[in-house]
Amino acid sequence: MKFINSSLRPASNNAASAGILSSVWKLLRLRLQIIYNGFRRAKLRTKIRIVFVWVFLLGLAYFILSASRWLLSLVHSPEFAQYAGIDLRSILASIPALTLSALFIGTVLTSFGVLLQALYLSGDMDFLLATPVPIRAVFIAKLLQAVLPNFALFSLFGIPMLFGLGISNGYHISYYPLVILLMIFLALAASGISSLLVMLVVRVLPPRRAVEILGFIGAMFAFLCSQTGNLANSFGRNINFSGTRIAGLLVLSNTRWLPLNWAGQGLVALGEGRWLSGILLAGATLGFSTVVFWFALITAQRLYYSGWAGMQVVARKKRMPSARTPYTNRTSTGLVGFLPKPVLAILQKDFLTLRRDLRSLSQLISPIIFGAIYTLVLLRRGGEPPAGSGEAPNWFMDSFRIVLAYGNIGMSLFVGWMLLSRLAGMGFSQEGRNYWMLKVSPIRVWHLLASKFLVAYLPTLGLGFLFLSVISILQGLSILEFVYSFIAIVMCLAGMAGILLSFGVAGANFTWEDPRRMNSGMMGCFGQILTIIYLPLSFGLFIAPLGFAQLLEFPLVYGYLAGLILGSIFAVGSAFVPLWLVRRRVEQLGVG
Amino acid sequence: MPENLIETRDLIKRYGDKVAVNKVSFDVHAGEVFGFLGPNGAGKTTTLKMIVGLLQPTSGTVKVAGYDVQTQSRLAKASCGYVPDTPNLYAKLTGRELLRFVADLYDLDRDQAARRADELLRMFELTSAAEDTVDSYSHGMQQKASLAAALMHDPRVLVLDEPTVGLDPKSARLIKDILRQLADRGAAVMLSTHILEIAERMCDRIGIIDKGQLVAVGTMDELRTLDKTGQTSLEDIFLSLTGGTEETEIAEVLK
Repeated sequence: MKFINSSLRPASNNAASAGILSSVWKLLRLRLQIIYNGFRRAKLRTKIRIVFVWVFLLGLAYFILSASRWLLSLVHSPEFAQYAGIDLRSILASIPALTLSALFIGTVLTSFGVLLQALYLSGDMDFLLATPVPIRAVFIAKLLQAVLPNFALFSLFGIPMLFGLGISNGYHISYYPLVILLMIFLALAASGISSLLVMLVVRVLPPRRAVEILGFIGAMFAFLCSQTGNLANSFGRNINFSGTRIAGLLVLSNTRWLPLNWAGQGLVALGEGRWLSGILLAGATLGFSTVVFWFALITAQRLYYSGWAGMQVVARKKRMPSARTPYTNRTSTGLVGFLPKPVLAILQKDFLTLRRDLRSLSQLISPIIFGAIYTLVLLRRGGEPPAGSGEAPNWFMDSFRIVLAYGNIGMSLFVGWMLLSRLAGMGFSQEGRNYWMLKVSPIRVWHLLASKFLVAYLPTLGLGFLFLSVISILQGLSILEFVYSFIAIVMCLAGMAGILLSFGVAGANFTWEDPRRMNSGMMGCFGQILTIIYLPLSFGLFIAPLGFAQLLEFPLVYGYLAGLILGSIFAVGSAFVPLWLVRRRVEQLGVG
Repeated sequence: MPENLIETRDLIKRYGDKVAVNKVSFDVHAGEVFGFLGPNGAGKTTTLKMIVGLLQPTSGTVKVAGYDVQTQSRLAKASCGYVPDTPNLYAKLTGRELLRFVADLYDLDRDQAARRADELLRMFELTSAAEDTVDSYSHGMQQKASLAAALMHDPRVLVLDEPTVGLDPKSARLIKDILRQLADRGAAVMLSTHILEIAERMCDRIGIIDKGQLVAVGTMDELRTLDKTGQTSLEDIFLSLTGGTEETEIAEVLK
């Protein structure tokens, strides 16, 4: 049998002498092939979704083009200028510089993560560098691979806006191709700088740790941005951003001293027919971008190939076993001493891993930030109901105050819900590929469930207690109200943990690589929907009897008693029944 | 007659139409090292996973230390240690924390567990890395940590899937010695391997699985008598039993 034909052997000379561009094309074609294969083999539903997203994005680009054209034409009208009372020409002239600067900075930031993955974690670098493809071609392909998706996304918004500006201002025809050319060059220079940053970071941190930190910063930034509205509503009322002030800032930022502005200023100059300054500024940008890209490419390639980046200069701090708390006896005393060893072991393990894995920690910190923001909002608002015209009877104002106070306690349950969704909903999934260790050990199903329940419940209870304490101080709750609220929180959170954990068992996913993709399937979603219904129902059973007692003029103690009985039965049932229902499923988890 | 610590009877595992393991029956006795050989995709890992309770058999029974893995799973698991082919360990635990965690899962006495952990860390030369998180370990160190975790509760049955892959010669030798000692102390050791030299030298008996079916079980001498071609080396016997002569031809062409 002959299976290797000598004619199939690579002509080593041909392969080695292949040009850089043709090699880059080969590598990019491979990437396109992978994307195409992914699309071809995707489910019909996914294909339809991808096509829909693209059609939507193209529609959006067209909308941006039309809107910017129309809006900028409007801005040109003398009536608008008179109304606004500001110099609109200078503002319009700063738009290209701002857009291109945003493209540059955005590309530096977004390419960083992609390049970190592509150069150090994708696993194909060794394979590619072992083939007779020029090393420079591999690096160019990697840089292009890092920059292309974000560039395409930015172009969808940036190009229509800049073209709309050109059309509305009646810019010269040379403006339009130069917009695209400058965007490409700036994006390439930005990706080059990103590659150097990656080398520097990897010199200090292991790539995986760098990805974790990056994910953590990204998640925190995204969450804080999403909550900016809340903070702005509460604190930003006194800040007056007038149109004149914004215009002043825009004009000030468009200074010629910043090289990043040259591209935009060159575009405007060319569009307006100021040829000399236009050619000089645009040419300088193209030249600088080329130099930066080429320098970064060669340097990054050398740093990678020489192994400089791989040699971490910062020695990792060595953990030493603590002499104060020998691990043999740690946590074996006190309340936790009553817990069976396997339960305690899983508790310790989960708390340690959640704390040490920044990607998981970012998911846990979000509810805490949300809680902190809400507390700040509450702090500013105070806890008193609005006085109105002062004609409302006393009993109404008292009831209103109770509703307001318990409404805020209900809000603390909502913060707990956010934390529980992660801790309980993904309690099993977070084991990932390590689940085999639990599976092969002789641990009881109820121990496993109890440990996962406690891992989710205890921190949430702590957060709930903290939140409740702050609210109690702010609103001057009585000791009785505080204790009753705490019991309500203890019970409601327990029920919620039971429900979310059960759905987490039903939809457990052990095959994830990134903790953010742990939650697969519909089960987690169903659990969250169900607990959104459960939460007001359960808390309502604690609170409603107080209102009835007030309304029927019964002593309030009857209301408290009725609330305790009704609410506790419902919450305890919600905590145990779903877990009892999924106990068989736990036995089957991780078994093929 | 030595006690059977692993017993499989008519073990079948189907994935849809594909039969991964087909009516596999064999025993592993106390005090022996049993090698489980087979080509890629023959059903070795599937069989091992059914023995340790990670996979549910479609039909058939598995007993570990006399306990049915399906109906008395906790008792069976308490007697068994497992080292998987890929050491997926909790990346954010330190080596020592990992061993403590395993000790607690098996409900071991804390002081004894601490001593045992120290002993194992020293034996596998992991003491200096004991306070580092597992994600900073090399593949070989993770493999050793995985073996240390499996040995924490001093199991009567030890199941290992490709235990020497990725290990340096010194560590591989150490593991071979440990497995031999365990067997000499009365444990049953079952390991799958592609390295026939290891199987030939270490194992008291060998099972060969091909396309989901157990094609031969026995000592080296018994395997030699099974093979009609009169081959004497395990490699030749293995290739003749698993239809590996095609690969020999390919090797000839490549020369």
